[in-house]
Amino acid sequence: MSVTVSPASTISSASLPSEQASAEAWCPFALLTLFAGAVLWLLASSLLGLRDSLNFHNPALFAGEGYLSYGRVHAARNAAMLYGFGVPAALGLGLWLLCRLGRTQLAGPAVVFMGAIFWNIAVTLGVAAILCGSSTGFDGFEMPAWCAPILFVAYLMIGLCALLTFHQREPGPLYPSQWFVVGSLFWFPWIFSTAALLLLYVPARGVLQATTAWWYAQNFDTVFLGFAGLASAFYFIPKILGRPLHSHYQAALVFWTLALFGSWGGAPEGAPLPSWIISLGVVGTVLTAVPILTVATNFYQTVHRDVNTLDADPTLRFTYVGLIFWIIAGAQQIVSALPGVSSITGFTWFGAAQKELFHLGFFALTFFGALYYIVPRLLGLEQGAWCPKLLKGHFFLTFFGVLISYISLVVAGIGQGILLADGGNSFADVMRRTMFPVRCIMLGDLLVALGTILFLLNFAGVLAAAFRQCRAERKGRA
Amino acid sequence: MNSGPLLFLGLFATMACSWTGFVLAPQLQLGGLTQTNTVVVGDALAQTYPLPQPGEAHAGAEIYRANGCAACHTEMVRPSALGSDLQRQWGLRRSLAEDYLFAQPVMLGAQRVGPDLANFGRRSDTNGIFLRLYDPGLITRGSVMPPYRFLFETRKIGLFPSPEALVLPDQDAPPVGYEIVPRPQARALAAYLLSLRQDGYLFEAPPPPLPKTNAVPTNAAPAAAKPAPK
Repeated sequence: MSVTVSPASTISSASLPSEQASAEAWCPFALLTLFAGAVLWLLASSLLGLRDSLNFHNPALFAGEGYLSYGRVHAARNAAMLYGFGVPAALGLGLWLLCRLGRTQLAGPAVVFMGAIFWNIAVTLGVAAILCGSSTGFDGFEMPAWCAPILFVAYLMIGLCALLTFHQREPGPLYPSQWFVVGSLFWFPWIFSTAALLLLYVPARGVLQATTAWWYAQNFDTVFLGFAGLASAFYFIPKILGRPLHSHYQAALVFWTLALFGSWGGAPEGAPLPSWIISLGVVGTVLTAVPILTVATNFYQTVHRDVNTLDADPTLRFTYVGLIFWIIAGAQQIVSALPGVSSITGFTWFGAAQKELFHLGFFALTFFGALYYIVPRLLGLEQGAWCPKLLKGHFFLTFFGVLISYISLVVAGIGQGILLADGGNSFADVMRRTMFPVRCIMLGDLLVALGTILFLLNFAGVLAAAFRQCRAERKGRA
Repeated sequence: MNSGPLLFLGLFATMACSWTGFVLAPQLQLGGLTQTNTVVVGDALAQTYPLPQPGEAHAGAEIYRANGCAACHTEMVRPSALGSDLQRQWGLRRSLAEDYLFAQPVMLGAQRVGPDLANFGRRSDTNGIFLRLYDPGLITRGSVMPPYRFLFETRKIGLFPSPEALVLPDQDAPPVGYEIVPRPQARALAAYLLSLRQDGYLFEAPPPPLPKTNAVPTNAAPAAAKPAPK
């Protein structure tokens, strides 16, 4: 089987009939709004993270300011990361892939644009409200109750356009990336509406709130973000190498097993629940070894002859590293779900390390890789429009930032877990002894924030180049 | 895998599988939980457990939620086979689903940057909580918990000093003629933290078995256990 994707023409409005031209002009606008919003929120989330890691250097900082206290900033950072960055990034990538793989135009770009604006307004209000003390108290579902419906409607506006785009695709076999995009598109409204109902509007009784929140967070990461990122990897790696994906059957196996097993679990070992719920979650998490190993072999078979060229293209480099981080994060999740391990690493920094690697290492890197390919094409520019120095700086700052944060959190988590397993060590003492690696995450956060700033500078440069080109074209026509 | 509707149906079935297992089934099993009677220890009477939170504690739960305390504190004690929670005296027994019947919202937490609080009410008092909130380093040296000064108010001492004014060492003491008193939020939060106690023995977590012996229980003969005072 070969990749059925042709290098579709770049979207530029130079030679189109006039009635199509307005819809055409909206498409880059709508997608760029989603992308720019996502990147700005990623920066905001890194800055909020920076404030939180400062706490471990000087806890008394901002002691008098309620809205900058550790717990509120922690919730705001999560919300900025998941809702400010994650969802719009997944949607933008999905929309572009559906257009490209279906060889069609974006349906209702103006609606998508409005949806993106609504979404970003809702996230801004929500994050501000969280800093003022309106967080729901659920990890991964922090947005206040009045904010959730706005987010949901904005999502539906964008999601329905995505479905229409998918529907008007050219007939022919579907490429794996299309399954993954459609999967992530459907998954989010299902889990979000369940969580909003059972946590906020008709609160479930007692500990059922906790099970719902854990289930939601697990599905959001593993299935929703996982599908969106994998869709991008399945498209860009074969596409840029110019080599067909090794096996579509393996991709289908990844798709169904990840949807089936990745959506189980989330409840920590020892939680106050009937043990079958926790055990079923452990079984599901361990079975995600199937999609992880399949992705690893499938991509290894696809790229193993071209390993030397991986460095040649920025998209390839970002996506490839992101995929490796996905495998590591998935393996870590399996290991930390095993009963013998979870009693040691449970409730330590080990879990935070896995989340950090999944969100920043896998999803953000894959997303940036895709942006380096998509943005110039949306604007009708060459890929050389990116400044190579800023690009290199962005990659290394983000890569090392993620690596430093991840390694220090893993070291802190394992150290904390092993020391705490001995009931004779006092808790405060253990915290003091594992504080050094925790302090190192500030460096990681700083590097990631700097990297994102470099990307934004580069992005602004590309936008300016597109603007100049547009003006020159208009002058040429006049 | 080339038909949109089939893809949709497959996804829906997969999602329904997960939803049934992790949302619906726990709801069916635990949704009907009600108050129950505690297991009787010794000659004590069975009691209804859990009891609803008092109103101020409920207001305090909102302060706990608003300030994201659950980012660093869990509210669940794991069984003795998993971790050293019980060895650390964080609880009498493991936490159970019944313990959270009246919690709203339920904030079990995900990470322990600070100690577990499931039974904090059993090991603290109002004054200690105020001092911890005002300057955690006073109680636990080198603590990384941020001080929550905005829950307190520095005000001029009126006709009489307030009985609630914090007694602080020199480095934290207010200027002469001023006192530091908790705001209503701090009082509510303290009431919430004091209400955290999972101390009813239940069917799933019965009290530890008494040692098998023929001797008279020590609590029946208190005079024999203690050396006579000089």
